[in-house]
Amino acid sequence: MFSSPLLDIETKLNADIGEFAGWQMPMKYTSYLDEHLAVRSSCAFFDLSHMGRLRIKGKIDELDKLVAKEIKKEKIGKMIGPTAFLNDKGGFEDDVMLYKVNEDEFLVVTNAINREKIINWIRKNSQLNVEDLTFDLAMIAIQGRTVWNIIEKVELQPLEFKLNTKYMNEEVYLISRSGWTGEDGIEIWGRPETLSRLIIKLVNLGVKPAGLITRDSLRQEMGFVLYGEDIDSFITPVEARYWVFSLDKEFIGREKIVEQLKTGVDKIRIGFKGKKNERTIPRKDNPFMVLGNKVGYVTSSTYSPYLNRVIGMGYVKPDHLYLGFNLNVDVRGKMIDVKISDFPLIG
Amino acid sequence: MSNEEIVGGKYKVLKDRYYTETDEWITIENNTAKVGITDYAQKKLRDIVGVDLPQVGREVRLGEQVATVESVKAAADIYSPLSGKITEVNEELTTSPELINKDPYGNGWIFKLELSDTKEIEKLLSYEQYIDTIKKREGL
Repeated sequence: MFSSPLLDIETKLNADIGEFAGWQMPMKYTSYLDEHLAVRSSCAFFDLSHMGRLRIKGKIDELDKLVAKEIKKEKIGKMIGPTAFLNDKGGFEDDVMLYKVNEDEFLVVTNAINREKIINWIRKNSQLNVEDLTFDLAMIAIQGRTVWNIIEKVELQPLEFKLNTKYMNEEVYLISRSGWTGEDGIEIWGRPETLSRLIIKLVNLGVKPAGLITRDSLRQEMGFVLYGEDIDSFITPVEARYWVFSLDKEFIGREKIVEQLKTGVDKIRIGFKGKKNERTIPRKDNPFMVLGNKVGYVTSSTYSPYLNRVIGMGYVKPDHLYLGFNLNVDVRGKMIDVKISDFPLIG
Repeated sequence: MSNEEIVGGKYKVLKDRYYTETDEWITIENNTAKVGITDYAQKKLRDIVGVDLPQVGREVRLGEQVATVESVKAAADIYSPLSGKITEVNEELTTSPELINKDPYGNGWIFKLELSDTKEIEKLLSYEQYIDTIKKREGL
């Protein structure tokens, strides 16, 4: 089991520590309802030190074959993502963010659960040099509607980043205009002691600490997928409606994507919303039912503090993807009604 | 003497009630038991977002599943710690299930039960026994 290098300071802030993807991380501080609404109405920060962070060096042509999105034409200093490493059946090895540092140097953020798998996969499929930075650097995200009141001088446009820069008078390795909550914000990589000091500064400025439970409810409201829940090595970007590829280039998995775009898919990702006052939450793999027949299954669900209703996502046969169409979900034998909704679910 | 003990620096156990192995607490007054889940249980479940309450008037037996608590993490079954008839449920939990997180031993109570067999009370755990149960589970 790994631990966030920021746990000491987080424990002092009363973090409720739990396990996620083999890491001890803050799950929540007060309640996910408060933390979630803080991001939607003001600002909060998250510890993301569990996410895999890799430095990749070598020929860009080699990386270009591994990654589904266009990288050769992108400018240096640009963040490319989300994109994906796919297997030859078009399934996700991982969905990742890429930072183009130079023509022959990239940074990659992987899902925590896939870090080792991706390192091995890149080494197996290329001559690229992969260096694991995950345990040298901590990572936090500051997200929310009032984030720019806290971060006055970032000088970053969306999808940009800076290396070896200063943030609030601290030397940090990377600062980028990114996040995963649907709100504006930044992510910062730095030495654990530097980010611990930053956390104290943020708390003193009134920025709430938030845990991974909140991050999960925020991403579900946006319809962002989570690896291991909504996508995996058997799900393709076409089925997931996750446009992380460019057909203008070759990459592993392209053939399957082209085939599916031509002939169609057997299942497709949907979002759903429950009725007001319904608080039974569908769980992963609960079946979607229409007229007593199974037409799909749930992959993620939660209670949205913003909409005050159950929300989630899953897969159905394409014949049943009608926006506004009612499905039943069999939750431990209890049928609850949900309505197919477009992403983002809070839009 | 304080009515509470904090186990492992984290989990509050009150001395004025009984407990079960399945983490319910029970107080008994005039042949009626009031039931909720413990501070340990709510902390393990984390944020509670829904409660499926039992029907008032339902006859239940000791150990029977009577309610379900939905948290962001999982759904947890709540078992009746004694046999009897459900006489009241905490309707406030329908709209504010987070009361169980905020006040598990007070406003977060779940249901009341008119006892049909008071001898069953002997089967419940004392607070000392419940503290030992938590310590064992947490390796304390």
